[in-house]
Amino acid sequence: MSDGTAHKQSFITKYIFSTDHKMIGIQFLWFGTFWLLWGGLQAMLIRWQLAYSGQPVPIIGKLLFGASDGIITPDIYNQIFTMHGTIMIFWAVTPLLSGAFANFVIPLQIGARDMAFPVLNMFSFWTFFLSGVILLASHFLPAGPAAAGWTSYPPLSTPVGGIAGHGQALWALSLTLMGIAVIMGAINYVTTVIRMRAPGMGYFQMPLTVWGIWLAAILNAVFVPIIAAGLIFLLLENVFGTQFFIAGSKATVEGGDPLLYQHVFWIFGHPEVYILILPIWGIVSDLLSVFSRKPAFGYRVTATCMCIITCLSAIVWGHHMYTTGMSPLLGKAFMFLTLLISIPSSVFFLNWLGTLWKGSLQLRAPMLFALSVVFVFGIGGLTGLYLATVTSDIYLHDSMFVVGHFHYTLAASVLMGSYAALYFWFPKMFGKMLNPLLGKIHFWGTFIPLNIVFYNMMVTGYAGQHRRLYDPYIYEFLQNLKPLNTQISWWAWLLGAAQVVLVVNLIWSLMKGKKAERNPWNAATIEWTVDYPIPHGNFAQMPTVYTGPHEYSNPAIQGRDWISQTEKLTAAS
Amino acid sequence: MGTLFQSLIHSALSGIWFIKPPQDVSLDGYRIDKVIHYTDTVVAIYMAVVVLSLVYFIVRYRARPGHKAVYERGDKKIYIVATVVLGFTVFFSIDAVIEAMAFKDLKEAFWNFPKGANVVRVEVMPQQFAWNIRYAGPDGYFATDDDIIAPQNQMHIPVDTPVVVQMAPMDVIHTFYIPHFRIKQDATPGMITSFWFQAKESGKFEIACAELCGNGHYRMRGFLTVDSPEDFRAWLEELRQEQEETDDWSDWGEEEDDSGVPQDWGWPWNKKI
Repeated sequence: MSDGTAHKQSFITKYIFSTDHKMIGIQFLWFGTFWLLWGGLQAMLIRWQLAYSGQPVPIIGKLLFGASDGIITPDIYNQIFTMHGTIMIFWAVTPLLSGAFANFVIPLQIGARDMAFPVLNMFSFWTFFLSGVILLASHFLPAGPAAAGWTSYPPLSTPVGGIAGHGQALWALSLTLMGIAVIMGAINYVTTVIRMRAPGMGYFQMPLTVWGIWLAAILNAVFVPIIAAGLIFLLLENVFGTQFFIAGSKATVEGGDPLLYQHVFWIFGHPEVYILILPIWGIVSDLLSVFSRKPAFGYRVTATCMCIITCLSAIVWGHHMYTTGMSPLLGKAFMFLTLLISIPSSVFFLNWLGTLWKGSLQLRAPMLFALSVVFVFGIGGLTGLYLATVTSDIYLHDSMFVVGHFHYTLAASVLMGSYAALYFWFPKMFGKMLNPLLGKIHFWGTFIPLNIVFYNMMVTGYAGQHRRLYDPYIYEFLQNLKPLNTQISWWAWLLGAAQVVLVVNLIWSLMKGKKAERNPWNAATIEWTVDYPIPHGNFAQMPTVYTGPHEYSNPAIQGRDWISQTEKLTAAS
Repeated sequence: MGTLFQSLIHSALSGIWFIKPPQDVSLDGYRIDKVIHYTDTVVAIYMAVVVLSLVYFIVRYRARPGHKAVYERGDKKIYIVATVVLGFTVFFSIDAVIEAMAFKDLKEAFWNFPKGANVVRVEVMPQQFAWNIRYAGPDGYFATDDDIIAPQNQMHIPVDTPVVVQMAPMDVIHTFYIPHFRIKQDATPGMITSFWFQAKESGKFEIACAELCGNGHYRMRGFLTVDSPEDFRAWLEELRQEQEETDDWSDWGEEEDDSGVPQDWGWPWNKKI
């Protein structure tokens, strides 16, 4: 593998138990896409219940909920939103970012032949796959899957919580396995970036995509083991009847503490937000530069800001727990630390705008998605202020405002960013261009409904609607929200329907799409210097890096407006 | 189809303009509303700047024949200083201000528990899926024989009087939430948590559970009745007499009543928190 020459591979070693980072990336891509659609379908069901509470779900209702004549019962409702959250975060977005794009992009962008540990990489995918099988299987348990929310706070998620069946145990088991897979991947990415950069590529010659994925991988390697420990405890509670997290009158022995789990969960859970968003920040920073035909504004400052935010993300978890009755001193400390994040965030956000300033903006599909991230992340970031503040969080905590806010940061920003990345790298992954017209339809069909849905979720939360309600309208103070909730649902279904355009585009382009040139976007990073199909080993001749990742419109270049990182500026002129 | 389209357009805008939180009837809820409104204003300004510059850049710098990008790396000292200064401007215009407001409010109100003879003390034990409410009774001590237990899900308090609540749940985590009072507090097994509030107006308000607690989470609904002090005392007295009369018979079902709630669930008032 290290010689870079093509060698014979059987179908199994090439497509299934592959150690090639590109194939593993593509495996993660389809794996994540499957779960994205599955979790998306569950979102549609949640919206049905909130709009037409207690009425049978049309068309698919009888098939899914035969026992209750197609009606979503309170038990089923709890299972659906629990699985929606779990799946979207851990089985859809994580494999897409820290699986598909990380795998495909890192070695190609830093000029390496493969990951540092190709076999570990393969194990990472198949452990992930196994965890997915277990999670999928838990849907078919007689009493259904887990139903304690994606956070699964004990004691509710333990046997004393009163949730029937073994869903919680399988939830904890599959999530632990998922964690192990993520740790394997993270160790691989961190090592690869540190050890295997091409000659000439210092840290400050790396594309910002690599910066983002690398920092996310560091967070994964540090914090996923913590949640894995907590999950193993939770598994023990459910299988062997231990009482690490059980207290009060339901405890038969002393010593348990439900709050301990919340700390363990959020020590991981807050960095997790950045694990998901850092790769997107990197990708968006690079794409804005490519499609503005301008270097990324303040590149070093942006990278530094991302590092600062990575560090800060580790010490702010308490802002998820303001209403637990934490000590005033802690509350104030967590609030102050959380609010500090707005300084580096503002700086790199300004750098995004700086990149666009005086550029030559090509509004192609990846650029549209990247620009939309600037918008939705602006809203997502700013609405975080309400929740970082102890007092306003008293009112907004556990409300639909929180749901709207984290859908803006995680669902909207990450989804739009992932789409940007997909449209951008699809030509290198599959040798075909995605259809640009369908891409633009998909963009507008996603962007408009998505904003209406998530914005109005925040509005319902501000109006008092709390989370995870099977039927909000039994409360008098929420009855006026029924029309708005119904409208949100219709927009959500429109958003879901728009994803069909993407699926059609993927299938159509794979079969009949225009063949991609080597460098369809005139991008400067190294992955665009190799032709599709990229052989196992990536480069016939190891690349040497001479320039930064964003050399666009440099007046020293003549004849075109970019040079590759592997070209000398003087040679090109 | 036309009406559907109309209502979709309406919904796109309606949420933003017409929906308000429940009316605040508490002494200190205005503080929370004030922080939210201040944040609203400044956030709207910054978001407007972002949107306007995005739109301006897209129109002004769109790729077109004859237009070329300017090679600007943005790494000159002036740009770095400018972005960092703007970053701090954001921090001092929003974060520092709401932080100061919040710290002040916490010190003056939310974490400043009232003391004194007029304070009404209530113990609350949430369970799946109901609220148990308990008053100290004539002796002023909790967990004694003369404690007054309110009918399940019925909490009464006097108007214009500070009320301190201590909570400990029976089974899983619940969160006491009264939107009209901007109050939200977790009740976690194994610990006693507390909060305080004061009503400005009489009336009947809903109590909700805000933390997922099982399949009945959505219907864990209680009622807070704010009475005049006289009505409140009369209500307590009536309950006390009722309980005194039935007390002799209490041996009959000593361990548990129908709801599965142990009758002796109270705890001595925790003065440390």
